Amino acid sequence: MKLAIINGSPRYKNSNSTLLMDQFLKGFSSKSEIAQSYLVGTENKKKALADFVESDTVLIIFPLYTDCKPGIVKEFFESLLGVENSVQKRVGFIVQSGFPESIHSEALERYLQKLTKRLGHIYLGTVIKGGVEGIKIMPPGMTKKLFGQFEKLGSYFAEFQNFDPKIMKQLRTPYKLSASRIFFFNLISKTGLTNFYWDMNLKKNNAFEQRFDKPFSV
Amino acid sequence: MKKITILNGDIHPEKKIFSEYIHQVEEKLMSEKLEVHVFNINSMNLFYCKGCWSCWWKTPGKCDIQDDGSQIFQSVINSDFIIFASPLIAGFTSSALKKITDRFVCLLHPYIQIKNGENHHQKRYEKYPDFGLILEQEADTDEEDIEIVKNIYGRLSLNFHNNMRFCHFTESNKPEEIAHEISHY
Ligand SMILES: Cc1cc2nc3c(=O)[nH]c(=O)nc-3n(C[C@H](O)[C@H](O)[C@H](O)COP(=O)(O)O)c2cc1C
Repeated sequence: MKLAIINGSPRYKNSNSTLLMDQFLKGFSSKSEIAQSYLVGTENKKKALADFVESDTVLIIFPLYTDCKPGIVKEFFESLLGVENSVQKRVGFIVQSGFPESIHSEALERYLQKLTKRLGHIYLGTVIKGGVEGIKIMPPGMTKKLFGQFEKLGSYFAEFQNFDPKIMKQLRTPYKLSASRIFFFNLISKTGLTNFYWDMNLKKNNAFEQRFDKPFSV
Repeated sequence: MKKITILNGDIHPEKKIFSEYIHQVEEKLMSEKLEVHVFNINSMNLFYCKGCWSCWWKTPGKCDIQDDGSQIFQSVINSDFIIFASPLIAGFTSSALKKITDRFVCLLHPYIQIKNGENHHQKRYEKYPDFGLILEQEADTDEEDIEIVKNIYGRLSLNFHNNMRFCHFTESNKPEEIAHEISHY
């Protein structure tokens, strides 16, 4: 297997996509060649396209942006239309998002499947994982399970050249919020705990008092 | 209905056909006595979102990138209706259009609410204009592609607390029909 991993985060290397991919690669630990590339910057885009062309298996990981792929990822997909299809490739996707429910990524998943077919390649599926924003600042205890799952995803991929269906299923739960989770949300929303992450960062930047600003109102 | 913003995501304006169609929509809307603002995204100075969250926790509501973005945000949030216009490329609207759509996040508030049993971000502004899609098909566009595009823009409307009012195609609708429809909302 000649594997290319394309990281489509607009945050480049300093991203949640990178953190998750590192775990995947830890599990992968195979001697086969891996080409890694990014989509931020002209030279990186060129390398990503070249890596795509030269590999037989491609994984594309990126964050969900407005329940869709980010602009730079769409630009990359457009560039694939101009590629001469000499070999049929095996292409898989990993989409990770801020909100925990996989329903936000479901429409995009349909798109990715259709795109792969349109390009004439073999679709390996889309790993969907929500609740990823903030993992960089979480204590190890909180990310242990997630990182372990991505490590397993990597070791399975090295062995079977495919995504582990069991892990995929675990990662995409919950599909929607359960009734008890909604109840809990409503209960604690009064305490401000649901917005803890945003408030913490607003305060750190001395912007808390301006948080309701409407700069584009006329 | 008074003010309309058209976001033209054509990335091959030299081919003329699509952008000329959009220009006709603009003229027909004006002849319906509407104020129309057209942004040809591809010819503007616009950068991709960097995912920095400045717009949510450093300068609330304002994007950190110094380019033509502000003109568009200002127009969009103060319009009564938005048109997302683009030829389909690789089964979806253009990367140019998605480039500016990503950055609409600055128009939302980071705080979370539950809507339809899902997490969503709260409004920053009182009202978010409804929108319509004007698309041009590719040689291989099929029913499934159209369903997927509608599905994804339906998700966008959930995120932005507005409604998708139509999905029209340059192949099957006349510019005056679209303008007429919008003027009657
Ligand atoms: C412009 C923008 C739009 C986003 N849209 C969504 C969204 O619609 N749904 C969601 O769950 N998360 C959304 N997110 C959150 C990202 O998907 C999440 O933070 C992800 O972990 C970022 O990954 P990265 O660090 O690899 O870029 C958005 C983030 C940004 C910056």
